[in-house]
Order: sequence, then C-alpha cells, then structure tokens
Amino acid sequence: MNGYRKKLPVVLLLLVAAILPFLANNYWLDVATLALFYIVLAQGLNVVVGFAGLLDLGYAAFFAVGAYTTGILMTVYGWSFWLTLPVSIALAAVVGVIIGAPTLRLRSDYLAIVTLGFGEIIRLLAINLSITGSASGIYGIPRPSIGSYVLAGQLDFYYLILVIAILAVLAVKRLGTSRIGRAWMYIREDEDAAEAMGINRINMKLLAYSIGAVIGSLAGSVFAVKMSAIAPLSFSFTQSIMILLAVVLGGLGSIPGVVLGAVLVITLPELLRSVEDWRYLIFGIALVAMMLFRPQGLWPARYDAGQAASGETEAALSGRGDDDVNVDAEKCNA
Amino acid sequence: MKKWGSVVVAALLSLSLAVAGCANQGQGAADANEILVGVLLPVTGNNATDGKDMQNAIEMAVKKVNDSGGVLGKKLKIEVADDGCDPQMATTAANKLVSQNVVAVVGGYCSGATLPSSGVFKNANIPMIVPAANSAKLPAQGYDTLFLINGLTPDQAQTAADYMAANQAKKVALIHDNSAYAKDLADFAKAAVEKSGGTVIAYEAINPEEKDFSALVTKLKGLQPDATYFTGYYAAGGLLVKQFKQKAVPGLFLVGDGSFSEDVIKIAGADNAEGLLITATPTAEFIEGAEAFTTEYKQTYNNLAPGPFSALSYNAVNLLADALKRANSTERDAIKKALKETKDFQALGQTISFNAQNTLDTSNFAVLKVTGGKFILAK
Amino acid sequence: MEILVQTLADGLVIGAFYSLIALGYTMVFGIIKLLNFAHGDLYMLGAFVGYSLLSMIGGGDSGMGLFGILVVLLLTMVIVGIAGMGIERIAYRPLLLAPRLSILITAIGVSLFLENGAMIAWGAQYQVYPLQLSHAGINLFGATITYTQIGLVLISALLMLGLHLFINRTLYGKAMRAIAHDQTACQLMGINVHKVIGLTFFIGASLAAGAGTMAGAYYGTVNFMMGFIIGLKAFTAAVLGGIGSIPGAMLGGLLLGLMETAGTFVFGGSWKDVVAFSLLILILVLKPTGIMGEKVTERM
Repeated sequence: MNGYRKKLPVVLLLLVAAILPFLANNYWLDVATLALFYIVLAQGLNVVVGFAGLLDLGYAAFFAVGAYTTGILMTVYGWSFWLTLPVSIALAAVVGVIIGAPTLRLRSDYLAIVTLGFGEIIRLLAINLSITGSASGIYGIPRPSIGSYVLAGQLDFYYLILVIAILAVLAVKRLGTSRIGRAWMYIREDEDAAEAMGINRINMKLLAYSIGAVIGSLAGSVFAVKMSAIAPLSFSFTQSIMILLAVVLGGLGSIPGVVLGAVLVITLPELLRSVEDWRYLIFGIALVAMMLFRPQGLWPARYDAGQAASGETEAALSGRGDDDVNVDAEKCNA
Repeated sequence: MKKWGSVVVAALLSLSLAVAGCANQGQGAADANEILVGVLLPVTGNNATDGKDMQNAIEMAVKKVNDSGGVLGKKLKIEVADDGCDPQMATTAANKLVSQNVVAVVGGYCSGATLPSSGVFKNANIPMIVPAANSAKLPAQGYDTLFLINGLTPDQAQTAADYMAANQAKKVALIHDNSAYAKDLADFAKAAVEKSGGTVIAYEAINPEEKDFSALVTKLKGLQPDATYFTGYYAAGGLLVKQFKQKAVPGLFLVGDGSFSEDVIKIAGADNAEGLLITATPTAEFIEGAEAFTTEYKQTYNNLAPGPFSALSYNAVNLLADALKRANSTERDAIKKALKETKDFQALGQTISFNAQNTLDTSNFAVLKVTGGKFILAK
Repeated sequence: MEILVQTLADGLVIGAFYSLIALGYTMVFGIIKLLNFAHGDLYMLGAFVGYSLLSMIGGGDSGMGLFGILVVLLLTMVIVGIAGMGIERIAYRPLLLAPRLSILITAIGVSLFLENGAMIAWGAQYQVYPLQLSHAGINLFGATITYTQIGLVLISALLMLGLHLFINRTLYGKAMRAIAHDQTACQLMGINVHKVIGLTFFIGASLAAGAGTMAGAYYGTVNFMMGFIIGLKAFTAAVLGGIGSIPGAMLGGLLLGLMETAGTFVFGGSWKDVVAFSLLILILVLKPTGIMGEKVTERM
C-alpha cells in the first residue's frame, strides 16, 4: 500500500462531497446534511464504543447538551454562535466526566443501562426545565455569521457541517493511532492486563467519554443553528440507538466503516420513503439480515494492516468484554 | 486493495445517490393538469394515529374537490411526507416537498415538528395551512407563509378557565402529557385560572405512552379538586377519564381539543365519559353538512370515526382550493395573498378569516359536554 | 391510610405486569447474556393476539365467562411463545458466536420489525379491547380494590409460581440453570443446549404475552407502540432486582411499581421517570449486581 493509492479514494470522496450540492436538489441536500451530522455523531460514539469498548446507549444526551447550550446562549443571552462553541464543548466534557465517573466500576451490560438512564434523564430535564423551553424546546435561534456573511441557506450549513465532519474524522483517526488510542484498545481487549502495563484505566476511560461528548456536542451546536428550532424529541432514546446503529453497522472502531454506516442509517429510510408504512419494517429486516451475514460490520476495522490478518482481527473484536461467554459458546457449538 | 475497492464503491454509491436525487426532481411533480399539494403529517411513530386520521380527511376533501370539477381546470394531487412528529424528520420531509415543487402545503400536527418545518416553507416561499398545531410560538415566528386554522392555545385556555370560574370551580388540577401543545395549553390555563381568582392545586404531567395513571389519580383524589383539566391527546385522555371515574375523584373533568374525538368516549367507556367536558372548536353535530361529513368519513374508512383534527384538515384543503380559485393562479405569492384575504370562509364548524398574524381572527372555542354518548354544547 | 393502601394495591398490579415482562428479560439474559430489546414488543404482540382472539369469539359482553377468558389467555401465550421461539431460531441463534453488540442490533431490528408489522396488521389506531373487566370491588380502609385487580395479581402470582416450580423441580429447569452456569459443560454432558434456549424464549415470550393480554383487558386500549416504554421499564425492573435472577425480577418489578408511585407523590408526575432512572443509576453504581443478583467475579 503506498500513500498515493491510499489517498486517491479519499480525495475522490471529498470531491464528490464538495460538488454534491450542485447535483442534488433541496431534499437530497438536506439528507446529505443529516448524513454528515450522523458522521460526526457516529465518529464521536466510535471513540467511546469502538475504541474504548464502553457501550453507550445514551449518546444523544451529549448531542442535546451542545444543542441546548448554543440555543440558550444565543436566544437568551444573545451570544454569537462561535462564542458558544467553547462553552458547549467545555460543558459537554464536564457532563462526559459526570456520566463516565460512576460507570467506571461497572460491567459492560450495566454500563449500557446506566448510560441509557442518563440519556433519558437529560431528555426529561429538557422537557421539564423552563430554561430549555420545556416540551416545545427553543425556537428562533439566530443564524451564525462569518464576518458580515450570514450562514442561512442549506448550502452554507452543508459546507459548515462538512468541514466539521472532516475535522472529526481526522481527529478520531489520529486519536485511534495515537498512544491514547492504543491504550483504549488495550483496555478494551483486556482491562486488567492494561492496568498491569501501567495504563491508568480510570483516566483513559474518562478521556474517552469526554472526547466522545465533545464531538457529540459540537454536532449539537451546529444542529441548533441549522434547525433554528430544537425540541426534546430530537434527543430521544431512538436517536441514541440510531447513532449506535451507524457505528455497529459500519464496523466498530473502523473510521471509514463508521462513515459508511452513518450514511446508510440516514439514506436507507429515505430511499424507502416511497413504501411508506413498510419502510421501518424493511429497515428492521435489513438490520437483522445484515447482522446475520456480516456481524463484524460492513467495513470492519483493521488495526495493523501489516501484522494481523483480517480473520484474527475479527476474532479479537468478538472477544470484547465478554470473552468467557463467547469462548464457552464456541466450545458448545464446536 | 480491498479497501481501495470499497472506497470506490462508496464514492460511486454517493454519486448514484446524487443522480437519484436529480432524477427525483422530476418524479412526483405534477403534470400540466394537476396541482401538487404537499401534505406533511406524522404517518409513522407514536402519533401515526392522528396523522392517518388527518390524511384520510385530506384525501376525502381532495376527492370531493376533484369530483366537482377541480380547481382552475386542474385536479388537485397530494404528496404525503412523513414528519414523524420529529423536528429532524420534519425538516427533511419539508425539504422533500419543496424539491417536488409543491404549490402549497397542508399539514402540521405536532407543534414541535411544525416549528422547524414552517421555516423551511418560509424560505421557499410556499404557503402552509396548518390544521392542527396551534402553539402560540408558531405565529410568533412572524412568517407570512404560515396560516393557522386551528384556534390558538391562549383562547382555548381562556375558554376553559371561564367555564371553570362560571361553575364555581376554584381548586383546579392541570395535567398535560409533555407534548409541546399540551404543555403550552396547560401553562396558559394556569395563568388564566389564576387570573380569574382560582388556584392551581396540582400541575402534573403524564407519559402518554403509559397506561397506568393510578398513582396520579390517587394523588389528585387526596387533593379534592373542583375541576381537573387534561390538555393532552385523546388516547391518554380516555384512559385518564376512565381511571378518574373508577377511583371516584370529585369535581369536573375537562379535556382539551386534542382529546376531542369519539375515541375518547370509546376508550373511557360510555358510562365513564358521561358528563365529560371538552374545550374545542365544535364540529360535526352542530353544522349543517357536518353530519354528512362524519357519515361519509365512516363509510369511506371502514367505520372509523374521524379523529380530533379530521374536520380541520378537511377544511384546510377546502380553504386552499378556495384560495386557489380566488387567486386564479398557482403562483405562490398570489396564493399567499388570497389566503391572507380570506374573509368569512364557511367551513365545517368554523368561519375562517385571518388576522394580521395569519391566525383565526375570532376564537370559536366552546365547551362541549358528553351527554348520552354524544357531544352536546354545554351551557 | 386510604391513600397508602390504594397506592400499594395499584402499585402491585403494575408491578405484576413489570415482573412478568422482566422475567423474560432476565431468563434470556441469564442463559445467553442477551439484552433482548424486542421483548417489550412481544408484550404488545400478546395484547394484539388476545385482542384478535377475543374479537373472533365475540367479545366479553356475550357472557363467555371467566373460563373463556382464561382459554384466550392460554392460547395467546402459546401463540406468542411460538413466535418467540421463531425469533430466537431465525434472528438470534446464528449469532451466538458473534460480538455481543451485533446481537443487540439484531434485537433492535426485530423490535422495529414487530412494531411496524403490528402497525400494518392491526392499524396505527388505538384499538379498544373487546373485553372490559368489571370495576366492582371491595373496600379496604376506604381504598377500593377491584376483583379484577385481585384476579390479575393472582394469575400473575400463579404464573410466577409455576415458573419457579418449573425451574427448580423439572429436568428442563435444571438444564436451564445448568446452561446459565456453564454452557460448555452442559454440551459435554449431552444436554441439547439449543433446545433449552428455545424453550427459554418460549417461556419468556409467553409470560410477556400473558401480561400483554391482561394489560389490554385491564386498561382497555392497545396500540402498536405500547411495548416500547413498558419494555424499558421492565428492563429497569430486571436490573433493579439483579439481572439473571428470577426472584430478583419479580421483586424488581414490584419495587419499580411502588417507586414510581412514590415518585409521583413526592415530586409530581413530571419528575416520576427522572426519579426512577436516578434510583436505577444509584443502585447500579452502589450495588451493580442489583438486589438479588449473584456476585459474579467477572473480568471486566
């Protein structure tokens, strides 16, 4: 694999993304924008679930933190959009630590449930508090501007979120191959051994949560100004599940896979719009079929191309967190 | 190598998607003899029930208009997009309608989803007639493309508060179901009740996806309210009415127009629903021709009773047809202008004229009472 | 006193429904470590199958009596039980070796399939149950406890007792416990593991279906989304009691029912669920095995 061959397809893809608005109509542009949102969200969740192996069923909470922080600061206090970003990022990091801290001692399944609970609590808070506009949410969020140019059209937001998506993908990719990323994967594969090797598992897990939260909240902030109205309905359990779906569908820990997964999760139901009532039924069947025939995801991660054959990587992936069970099942079925 | 191939595949995929998008522009667009009207409703998810009721009524109205010769020599054709009562889905669905070049839009059920979708239509300068969503926040946006034909929340709250005051109900319990509409109504009702000298002894919420409200009912029973006002939708409303009766909670029981449906009687049981009060814009039984609407609706749709917003959805289509005729054009600005100039348009249960905010200029909320399994105007 | 008794009685009924559903979660988790997200939808399916059966035989008005109702209940439980086995066979069994997340996603797919399938089959409208149970009852300290409530709690208790005996006294029950303990050894001892797992799904699904039919008749309405929120609650109950533990699921269901009621009284209806979820998190953090769960020494 030389650098050129690796880079060419990426460049091609970016080119397609850049010219897409000129090929698509409003509707598909909106779908593409949503898909980009999902790419950012799914990459954020990928850090938590894919890299660190912490199952999170309440990721939409971070999305909500970002959206509401921006929404409130802009409508109530009249801040500029760009100034709200650091605040929402800082707040999300704090929330990430708050949610992460109690879960550190938990087994993987319980962890999932606690995150689910936190996700619901954040949504219920948004419904019940008056600062978040309660059930109707916040509306009339102003448009952001760069200098004197106001971002208002669909096209503007498409490019804004495209830039953020590219940044998120780059950041997550670099994190994945960094020392921190390797530590996460070590923890995921074998927590005790990781600790024995001198990895501070508490710090590392909290870091994973916080980074995931920051990426999610960034998407939320942009979501708020793009929609100009946000409501608790956007941050439901279903939203968390759909983001998780994107990650698992594409392939846990795999950057291109997660991008693909996000695009599919958004476009499939849209492509099925013509069949109305049947679309989520078909979507459900597709999910089951997909997991039956390709459980490792459409584009599984390959951690070290030069070293591990893909079969081994998949085996390692399947052992995550529940080696005992799987080993048992394997023996049983042997 | 494998990776390389996959990326190319992905790139091709997205290209074909874009092409499909372009192709889509043509698809669904009306031919020269049709006027394409967008319909934006929740036809999947939790609120699919009401969404389908509204869609049925809209289809019925369109058929009627077309059977009697259509509009401007053309037939109306609807294009339904599912907003799922979700802001994000609603925006996408609205954009879909925009790209299909609809002339106007009828729809909007959940206020939470209608707030962002109305913005999409505003940007595209497409008039939107909203038959159901009635949060006060909708007209507050100041969009000249947005027309609400359901009465506004503050008016309804006032109607409820006046009725309670007139019936010496001083201690009032308010219950909403956490939807934007119901919470809005409960908030306004709270203000109205307090202004007319009453006290709100309980302000509660239920989760409409649940069925057991016994804890709340027992709690209210302990508080002995003079009146209880539930502002949410009928599925939970019917159950609440039933459970209130079973536990013999004292006082009047009122529900908002989200619970104005024969289903509320069916769910609660005719005995339990007897004496139930509803704040709503009266339809069906009171207006000539409305009886025919109910009968025809039931005939067309398998004996299904019209939902709470069926009549309003029906009216929305007729109003649009009328405006198209008056505008004598399918130009958006002309339609907007014609809608704006609507004067005393006679529809089922309402006379429509718009005020400066493009909402109804007169509130026609009334209090109905279930008597003998039927809705009768309460005195 | 009146309020306390009333609350306890009502909490017991909803707790019984939670328990019946929670049992399915816990049994499946205990045996194959799967969080079956589609389980709540089996409850919905049970409610609808019962609805159709009752409509076929003409509803509850025609004086078919308690016997007829019980027959419908049992029939529903068998039909949905078989559906549960079918789901396991098609969607879950091939994935026993796969990463646990993929089987979780499969469960979400099954859930979407069931919900939307029911919407197409029975319509999106709320259906009113053809059978309305009586609301006559006895007076206890001023609180009304209906015969229906007593009947429902008794039936639930019988079902749970039956399950308890089945698990502890029969060979299949023994096999279940054994598989939960050590699948490999079971295989070596000649136990047909797949058959026992299938049976577990059958029992879990039929208990949920029983709860669904009873809830349909008790509350009077059914619709295709009714399984989602109660599934989430039952799941909470299972965790509260200690996931994998059968008495824990029963206790968890009852406790959750009571906790929600208490939450409504102290904090109001809007905050009820916040209270329930906060308690859930607290319990999990302080005692991750739940109330009755066994201490598992698991490498994290």
